[in-house]
Amino acid sequence: MERAEIHELSAAYALDALDASELEAFEDHLARCAECRENAASFQAVASELAYEAEAPAPPQALRERILADARREQPKVVSLPRRRWAFPVAATAAVAAGCAAVGLAFWAADLSQQLDEQRDAAHLSEEAVAALAQADTRRIPLDGANGVLVVDDETGKGWLVVLGLEEAPSAKAYEAWVIEGDAAVPAGLFSGGGVSTVVELGAPVPEGAVVAVTVEEAGGVRQPTQQPVFISGEAA
Amino acid sequence: MARGLAHLSDEALVALVARADEEAFAELYDRFGRVAYGLALRVVRDPALAEDAVQEGFLAVWRSAARFVAERAKASTWILTLIHRRAVDLVRREQPRRAEPLELAPHPTGDDTEEEAWLRLRRTRVQEALRRLPDKQREALELAYFGGFTQSELADRLGEPLGTIKSRMFSGLASLREVLAQGELEEEGWREPRSTS
Ligand SMILES: [Zn+2]
Repeated sequence: MERAEIHELSAAYALDALDASELEAFEDHLARCAECRENAASFQAVASELAYEAEAPAPPQALRERILADARREQPKVVSLPRRRWAFPVAATAAVAAGCAAVGLAFWAADLSQQLDEQRDAAHLSEEAVAALAQADTRRIPLDGANGVLVVDDETGKGWLVVLGLEEAPSAKAYEAWVIEGDAAVPAGLFSGGGVSTVVELGAPVPEGAVVAVTVEEAGGVRQPTQQPVFISGEAA
Repeated sequence: MARGLAHLSDEALVALVARADEEAFAELYDRFGRVAYGLALRVVRDPALAEDAVQEGFLAVWRSAARFVAERAKASTWILTLIHRRAVDLVRREQPRRAEPLELAPHPTGDDTEEEAWLRLRRTRVQEALRRLPDKQREALELAYFGGFTQSELADRLGEPLGTIKSRMFSGLASLREVLAQGELEEEGWREPRSTS
């Protein structure tokens, strides 16, 4: 039986003022209590502002080298995309990303949810996508390089891309979606963008650990991506 | 910075780090290494231990970036939380002279870089916000966050019931949140400089 007091620990948690057993109990509780999760997140944001109150002399240069060397030693650690083909297209997305970057993804994500809500009435989204977004067991994974999310239904692996304000693809070109797992890219649909929102039901399942990327290709589509992605999702972990 | 990482948001960098991008990781370190070190030093009060805390904290960033959810927190909050957790773990294990004044070796302040000016601005902002809190709330926040004390240790140390300590931390963070939010409104248009190198 859990005591009611456990709900009072979000501030102490954010300040790291719980001892080991309290911490374990509270993290257990966090997994089950949305209100405490929200409180803890908000308090952590405030607590981390306190970090700036400490005087901050420059750390030794050797520390930087050590940390980067440690990280390099731990490569590769995740599904890695072939570097040459998939090296993140910073140049291509910088302009698009600037929009998100300025606002900050956290706020942007909240904003996106609101925009999506507003558009339900306007029937810009297919019923299926709306249903998917409304389900508790779908996950929304933010996109890098575009204002949108990848929605994945964990049970079926079914995925949707929901993108707001995506420019129309150039003439004789189309956007092509890819589900990328390891080195393999599976074509998952063509679409043209334009309009307020773009919803793409992916033609291939999105397994755990995969990412979804979108490139601009010839209008009829290609079998393997020939271009750098214009946007890409986080991992469907 | 050939790839123009400086223009990416912190959150976009974390997304790249989740894909094991070393350059993005270096850029994140360059953005947060200094404040992380200052925080760790303030908590552990020993330069070598502070380096350990920063190193372990950044490696936690590297390893767990794929689990970061941008919808739930800012990247800066997530990173500083990881650093703080490591620093507190270390100080509890090593028990150096907690909450005693720290003699910092003087560091050169001659040429004020853009980064230093930015950090000083943020520092002033937090200091002013803290000053507007009731003394007892401020004391509880500082002892917990910088002293690394647990809530029970704080209750002992201050000779107050645990419930009192809990509610001071709770109200302290809530007031700080409010004061900082007010400050943000007043400073609209105020932006973080990106690359400084
Ligand atoms: Zn709760």
